Amino acid sequence: MRRLRALFVRLGGFFYKDSGENEFADEMESHLQLHIEDNLRAGMSPAQARREAIMKLGGVEQTKENYRERRGLPILETTFEDCRYAFRLLSRNPGFTLVAVVTLALGIGGNTAVFTVMNSVLLQNLPLPHPEQLMFLRLPNDQPLGASNTGDGDTSFSYPVFEELRKERAAFSDLMAYVPLAIGKVPVRIGELPEEAAADMVSGNFFSGLGAAFARGRGFTLEDETAHAALAVLSYSYWTGRFARDPSILGQTIYVKGLPFTIIGVTARGFYGIEPGVSTDFWIPLQNRPELNAWGNSASNSTLYGTPTWWCLRLIGRLAPGVSDPQALRTVEPAFQQAALIGLGALDNKSQKPVLALASAKGIQGVRDQYDQPIRILMAMVGLVLVIACANVAMLIVARNSARQREFSMRVALGAGPGRLFRQLLAESLLLVTTGAALGWMFAIFASSALAAWSSLDVPFSLDSNVLLFTLLISLACAVVFGIVPLRSAATVSAGSALKTSNAAAQPNKTTSWAGKLVVAVQMALCLILLVGAGLLVRSLRNYENLPLGLRTDGLLVFGASPLTTHSDDEKAKFYRILLDRLRVVPGVESATLMDNRLGSGWSSNGIFAIDGIEPTGSFSEIGMRANDVGPDYLHTLGIHILQGRDLLDSDSRTAPKVVIVNETFAKRFFPRGDALGHTAGGVKPEQRFTIVGVAADSKYTGVDEKPRPMLYFSFWQRSSVSDMQVELHTAGNPEALLPNVRAALHEIDPNLPMQKPMTQRAQFDESFSQPRLFARLAMFFGLLAALLVATGLYGTLAYRVSRRTSEIGLRMALGAQRSEVLCMVLRESLLISVAGIVVGVPLAIAGAQLVRSMLFGVTPGDPISYLGALLGVTLVALVASAIPARRAASVDPIVALRYE
Amino acid sequence: MGDKANDKKDVWQGTLALMVLKTLQAMGPLHGYGIARRIEQTSGDLLAVNYGTLYPALLKLEQEGYIRSEWGFSDNNRKAKYYKLTRAGRKQLNKEEREWEETTAILARFLAPGEGRS
Repeated sequence: MRRLRALFVRLGGFFYKDSGENEFADEMESHLQLHIEDNLRAGMSPAQARREAIMKLGGVEQTKENYRERRGLPILETTFEDCRYAFRLLSRNPGFTLVAVVTLALGIGGNTAVFTVMNSVLLQNLPLPHPEQLMFLRLPNDQPLGASNTGDGDTSFSYPVFEELRKERAAFSDLMAYVPLAIGKVPVRIGELPEEAAADMVSGNFFSGLGAAFARGRGFTLEDETAHAALAVLSYSYWTGRFARDPSILGQTIYVKGLPFTIIGVTARGFYGIEPGVSTDFWIPLQNRPELNAWGNSASNSTLYGTPTWWCLRLIGRLAPGVSDPQALRTVEPAFQQAALIGLGALDNKSQKPVLALASAKGIQGVRDQYDQPIRILMAMVGLVLVIACANVAMLIVARNSARQREFSMRVALGAGPGRLFRQLLAESLLLVTTGAALGWMFAIFASSALAAWSSLDVPFSLDSNVLLFTLLISLACAVVFGIVPLRSAATVSAGSALKTSNAAAQPNKTTSWAGKLVVAVQMALCLILLVGAGLLVRSLRNYENLPLGLRTDGLLVFGASPLTTHSDDEKAKFYRILLDRLRVVPGVESATLMDNRLGSGWSSNGIFAIDGIEPTGSFSEIGMRANDVGPDYLHTLGIHILQGRDLLDSDSRTAPKVVIVNETFAKRFFPRGDALGHTAGGVKPEQRFTIVGVAADSKYTGVDEKPRPMLYFSFWQRSSVSDMQVELHTAGNPEALLPNVRAALHEIDPNLPMQKPMTQRAQFDESFSQPRLFARLAMFFGLLAALLVATGLYGTLAYRVSRRTSEIGLRMALGAQRSEVLCMVLRESLLISVAGIVVGVPLAIAGAQLVRSMLFGVTPGDPISYLGALLGVTLVALVASAIPARRAASVDPIVALRYE
Repeated sequence: MGDKANDKKDVWQGTLALMVLKTLQAMGPLHGYGIARRIEQTSGDLLAVNYGTLYPALLKLEQEGYIRSEWGFSDNNRKAKYYKLTRAGRKQLNKEEREWEETTAILARFLAPGEGRS
């Protein structure tokens, strides 16, 4: 405690140096006077008295120095001095400082930005108390056969499973259920105009179990769940973005699909819900109304709240205190196995036994698996960029220090110890790193928000304490590297060399220039690796972009439209009939059609359909089929070639004979003789069979990178239930120009009807490979950055060597060397370094390419074009970087150069 | 180099601090010169206090809060800085006195003739 107090007083002393100094001088003076008086009394002469007093005091200046050291903090003072001196030196050399700081800022900032994404996606916990207790429930083995599913078989559970498992308090202190109200957004109305919002239905204990805090109001209760109360809780960001933080929000009404819900709470800032990669706007208790079914699914007998076979609920549990996840799994296993069979009866096949698993709620779930490897690879790439950047700055520092040898030896000669010299150089390095890190942090703030926008993840990437720690750590690593570099300069300085005036005499020894070349060669190798990686990813992106889709991509506009007030299938069918008729006469629209799953959105309907009443046998991967419920003119509107038969027509209505169109893959697999037309596909019972009336060419469905699979296009009117549909319009002109007219047409049908996520079909397909695009762009950016850094590094090394060898070159020229020979000499050196880099880099790049294999599309890791491109790039870097130093060497005037000595 | 010198001084300062505190307890408020003289006299002039080292020691004690200083006037009306014990200083003095006595007692036993053999 006392020491701490003393430290603070000394810190104070550091700032109030002058007043203390004067006071001590007074005290010394009074001391001397007292002593002198004593001495005089003892009978000394005045001169003798004074002399004796001063001698006893031990030298006034020495005493003052001792006092001063005790008074303030000497280390702080000299460090302060070092920093001030370093700052002066660096600002006197702005070119060097700028290059070093910007290089470091790019390196550190790039790493921080990529780490921010990695942190949010892979590492960050939910902003909730004890996040390590939160576990998502999963079904790695998929749902049992016979369950009505929502398409995500490994995450969704049935109501009986939820009810039984939530009783298992020994395993989970709370088990929460949640499910989105729509794929994407649900139509809502707050004021007059219809809009959309992302919403989840949740169990009553959702907020209390998660431990979510509230900015306003309260969360739901179990009574709200059982009563299916018409209540809503808003997220903080929705409250901010849509309601401008209206303080009187509680009690207001939000209409969800036309049904009124009373707002009772706003969650605390920073809670975006637990949906993967998207932020939820509001939550309502679990509902049992057919129009508020899970995922906006049309409600039928098998898919409605309470139906035991409707596996639609996502579950997240909070482990009971002190319970590990394997313990929890063991505890709930019997109850789970029993509840899983409710409504399904016994399972005929042992292999279909559902398996329950737990997944940690760290990072962004769902997104996590998808991004895990790419982000790690990016992190490695940007790490290499940092290594190159650090090497550059280190070389710059070495070059500068060797040019400062004379300054150093002068300072040594004037009495600076090697320790003091080293501290001075360290201060300069630290100042560079600190400035670079600060600039890099600002760059990272900008870059990570850009990354968030590009990655189409609707969650803000926050720069939290993890990220700060990371940045500090890599900065510290840089500082240590640069701390070791000056150590050599400081240790080898001798006072004598200050006296040598010749340039050549102060030339650095052979090992220094060898080390410089080695560093550049290693940089070249790293650059080659990055360029190969970038090349492979960019070539993959090209493949995504140029892949034939099997349908037209231009002139198509797609948007979702769901009837708000009609609920029966007949009413829905009528609604879409009116909609289609109205849209067909909108000016500019050439043709219009409908589809259940939007193309390129990743969604699809999957199943195994019987052919002529017989279900084909085999594994799902062999015979699994895809289906889509579509409207009339589907093939015509989307420009899909008809190989046999006809398109779907308006006449294929609810009452007409049931028809289906299959794709080429389907026809070839099940009707190899080409006689598909006239056969049936669909259910086993005669009334469930659809007659095949057409064979269409294969086209892409979920995204551009899917493989062709057997596909059925049903006329949506003829299905047992009518889904909420997507509208596809074809126009000769710009699809987006249609928007105002289409909006007006929708308004005529129902003023509450929003256009859901309108976009061009091209943009929708582009979204299906947004992740490869993002990674390809980033990899390209890192590759170019590396090339730029290596070019500056090589340039710096060569330019330095040329300037050091000016007199040698002059001598050579005086002895008859041609300018072209001198040119070649410098170029040869540069090329030798590059060749060494390439020889090391190619095997490393081949090894590295294996790691990105899973991210490649239509390209092998050994793709020769990527390697050739990278080699070309490295050679170009070598040539460009050596051009200026080579020219400077060739233009050396032998007379001037020799006079140098 | 500087560190080693400091270490030695610290050992010395340790006992010097005790002497300063004891002097101030015995004499009441006193200026630096007076403290130095008093220590010399008490030690029977066996200790020659280097007056220069006294002031950093006084400063340290003041920084630690054991003594306080203020400007005053000496008997013959000369302006001087007077140091006096604080309450914390008194406590510290008691503690250090006890410790010192224990240490010397232990050492005395070691050095007492015949103690180990009996």
